[in-house]
Amino acid sequence: MISLLGRAVVLAALLLATIGAVMSFAAAQKRSANGVERARRIAFLYAALMMLATGLMELALLRHDFAVSYVAQVGSLATPLHITIVSLWSSLDGSILFWGLILGIFTAGAAMHLRHSATDHLGYMLGTLFVVGVFFTFLIAGPADPFAPTPLPVPTDGPGPNPLLQNHPLMIIHPPMLYLGYVGMSVPFAIALAALFAGRLDRDWIRSLRTWLLVPTGFLTVGVMLGGWWSYEVLGWGGYWAWDPVENASFLPWLTAIAAVHSALVLQRKGTLRAWTVILVIVSFLLTILGTFLTRSGVVNSVHSFTQTPIGPAFLAFLGFCLLASVAVLALRMDTLASDPARETLWTREGAFLINNLLLLVFMFTVLVGTLFPIAAELVRGVKVSVGEPYFNRMAIPVSLGLLLLIGIGPALPWGRADNQNVRRALLWPIPAAVAGLLLTLAAGGRSWGILATGALAGYAIWVNFDQGLRLSRKRREDEPWTEAVGEAVRRGARRYGAYLAHLGVIVTFVAIAVSSSYQVAHEATLRPGESMTVSGYKLTFDQVNARQEPHRISDRARMQIERDGKAAGTLEPALNRYDSRMEPIGTPAVRTSVGHDLYLSLMNVGPDGSIGLRAIVTPAVVWIWIGVFIIAAGTAICLLPAGLRFPGRRRHLATAVATGAKAGT
Amino acid sequence: MSLPRFTAFLLPLLFAATCGADPATAQASAASQSDPAPLGPPLSGAALDRATEEVASQMRCPVCQGLSVADSPASSAVDLKAEVRRQVALGYTKEQVIASFERSYGEFIRLEPKAEGFNWLVWLAPIAALVAGALVIFFRLRPLRTGRSPATAGNAGGTPITRSTREDSRPS
Amino acid sequence: MNRKVLLVGLILVAPLLAVLASGLRHDPREVVSPLIGRPAPGFSLADLDGRTLRLEDLQGQPAVVNFWATWCQPCAAENPIFSAVARRYAGRARFVSVIYQDSPEAIRAYEQQRGRWGSTLVDPESRTAIRYGVYGVPETFLIDARGLVREKVTGMVSFDGLSRSLEEMLVASAIEDKL
Repeated sequence: MISLLGRAVVLAALLLATIGAVMSFAAAQKRSANGVERARRIAFLYAALMMLATGLMELALLRHDFAVSYVAQVGSLATPLHITIVSLWSSLDGSILFWGLILGIFTAGAAMHLRHSATDHLGYMLGTLFVVGVFFTFLIAGPADPFAPTPLPVPTDGPGPNPLLQNHPLMIIHPPMLYLGYVGMSVPFAIALAALFAGRLDRDWIRSLRTWLLVPTGFLTVGVMLGGWWSYEVLGWGGYWAWDPVENASFLPWLTAIAAVHSALVLQRKGTLRAWTVILVIVSFLLTILGTFLTRSGVVNSVHSFTQTPIGPAFLAFLGFCLLASVAVLALRMDTLASDPARETLWTREGAFLINNLLLLVFMFTVLVGTLFPIAAELVRGVKVSVGEPYFNRMAIPVSLGLLLLIGIGPALPWGRADNQNVRRALLWPIPAAVAGLLLTLAAGGRSWGILATGALAGYAIWVNFDQGLRLSRKRREDEPWTEAVGEAVRRGARRYGAYLAHLGVIVTFVAIAVSSSYQVAHEATLRPGESMTVSGYKLTFDQVNARQEPHRISDRARMQIERDGKAAGTLEPALNRYDSRMEPIGTPAVRTSVGHDLYLSLMNVGPDGSIGLRAIVTPAVVWIWIGVFIIAAGTAICLLPAGLRFPGRRRHLATAVATGAKAGT
Repeated sequence: MSLPRFTAFLLPLLFAATCGADPATAQASAASQSDPAPLGPPLSGAALDRATEEVASQMRCPVCQGLSVADSPASSAVDLKAEVRRQVALGYTKEQVIASFERSYGEFIRLEPKAEGFNWLVWLAPIAALVAGALVIFFRLRPLRTGRSPATAGNAGGTPITRSTREDSRPS
Repeated sequence: MNRKVLLVGLILVAPLLAVLASGLRHDPREVVSPLIGRPAPGFSLADLDGRTLRLEDLQGQPAVVNFWATWCQPCAAENPIFSAVARRYAGRARFVSVIYQDSPEAIRAYEQQRGRWGSTLVDPESRTAIRYGVYGVPETFLIDARGLVREKVTGMVSFDGLSRSLEEMLVASAIEDKL
């Protein structure tokens, strides 16, 4: 029943998307406001249908309706309720449906938010979004149909979702965040294509582009970080990033999206870099399609790989179509984005942005080549090769240090042309902070050149970003208490505060990554009950293994007594979980997080005589990686605050401020 | 075409030509399949631990997805790591140990591709991209270096601003 | 039409699509053994009764070397296939199995139940398995009379496949004996 209903709804959505695409493009070309209005209505209807389809699938999952094939694949009577709910996105077909849902919501959201835009822009944008919608709805209706009826006889129970996905609450939030970022890139892509189709990129549309670029970028940032955090908390090897192809797939669009954000900033402020901004936005979207293809097609060896399925070729076809169409549209319409011919000098903020974007693009290109190289090598040489962590780390470190340098230099440099003296002063003035950073690093025990460079550059960059942030409030200090001045400055300059805050988040994350990867200590031991091992000041004594029977698995927990510097510090229980559907047990590490470091215990095996194999890892500063990224997200959110946000009671100060401002000649 | 590119095409051919082992020599080498002599000193204690980690982190765990032998908790990886440790303790260098595993498992076990032949692509691509991008930026910025403010246009030897801003038709 | 953009775009896009398309045809998990066509790695291992068997002892006849364990389901499933093939080619080929990450006691108990189709060798610390590039079990190596590795089967063997490979090796060695 649900199977039939679901398929009907999806087919209706497919039809609607097709009609919507045709209508939108036609209306945009004719500049018909009525046509575009009708297209908007279709967008809302499309979103409603996708929500209905998703609702039906959730209903089927919750009712354990095994007649629906997706439920038969991932459902199970033994699975806890909250995991059943999120098993919607735990596996291939369901996740494509989830993608369709988010795409529908974003399409409707853009149709709503941008309703006052120029007719042709709005029409072309909707048309593009509908075309993307046609592809995904086609997948849901056809090759990746989660509503397909299960072949008879209908089973009475199922295997449950992938056990790896049941181990940790992070798995509940990571896919939605990532999808909001991934799928959300369709909107700025559509806006950029609309600018090309219409042959016009004016202030309003630039502002729309910027807003709708920041939203998915923020989600993508958090989504990528959550993936790393989940990997750390669940997989048991003690690391958070392995340069796995699917991890890289999520990282690539992030890099170009950040480049696009900075390029859009120049575009908004100076009117230049039109074509580059458009190109970067388009590439970001294309990389999301490439990333999804890599994840789902089985062409790469990965922890996350869904097995090879019929949708691999379909995705490749769509990717090919998008790539070639983008090249064609760019080639044909790029010249219509006639730009202000003003040029930048290197030693300005615009110049720093150019170098910044160069580094981000080189980083992206390197990771892309490294990820795809095994496929290419097999094609050319017929031999399987690996490109793994050592290679990527080797390439990533110099580029990242370059980016860290630019986070300091960029904001320090003035906009537009400035004389050499000003530039020199602006760049030299934060040097003491760099020295302080270096000394602090040395004092904390850092000795390698990479760590020392990180410390110095981070010191410089922190100073610059704080300084630039504070400058915004400095102007008002003479006649207002500074708290109000800050509030006022935030109101007027929310965007810039957001940027500086985001930069600080990046610096924190970067330093945390450098410290945690350089100073991790790991020990392994086989322990019998009562025996203990030491690692970095901790003494870990093994008590015993308790087997706990849960409805969907058997959990062997090893009770470990923790002692820190002689004092008792509680217990930790790393576990090995045995699921019915799998032969090999899957471990859940036990992690104790504190501000300075993490103690990480991973149970490797449980011997028949009651002994255990244990891996104990102490990693400094890990929690600051997650915190740093949340700071970036907060900064991004601040950037999205509507300009002209009013704080109550500010009016009377406004007049004075304006008068003072005019007097001071600011 | 540069030399590395040329060898990239040539090397697979050479490899294929030498691949077919002559039966007579195959028999001889089967009989004398003793390991080569270690090139480094025997290690123990903390130095042995460090060296084992270093070598094992360069080798891919064959049964895992992308983890190194050093990081992987899988039981077969544990055995591999023990073998790495045994060889390192005897004094074999990192390259010798990795080469010996490569004989059994193939190039797949190296986490970084050897810098030879077609593999040069993955090592040179980042540098090529950096250089190409730098050149693009350079040509973008260059006109302004000649076009100064009108007062100094003459002695800077550059053309006046109006002309330099129009001479470039590339998209910006 | 901006020719430069078109050119750069196509130069970037075409190889990318070609590489991705070729990737669809291959299984990234399947790795060809580098030992094929090369001399089999030597070993000198003790069987469950303490007798030592070396690779050299197998020379002169085709040999089937199978890596297995009692905890491995496909290994249990292919056990009868090996028994049947060993019976069929008794005297014409040698059959050897090597234990992988298992205890001799478990193997003994298993063989008491299931019988044995060839020598069962104990491989301490999986040193021999590593030399043969074993990823997991079951894996079977087919070595010809001269000691070269002809084939590696990953996963369960089939009766027909195994028989066919043995016939080929027997024919090849018969031809060489005549020359």
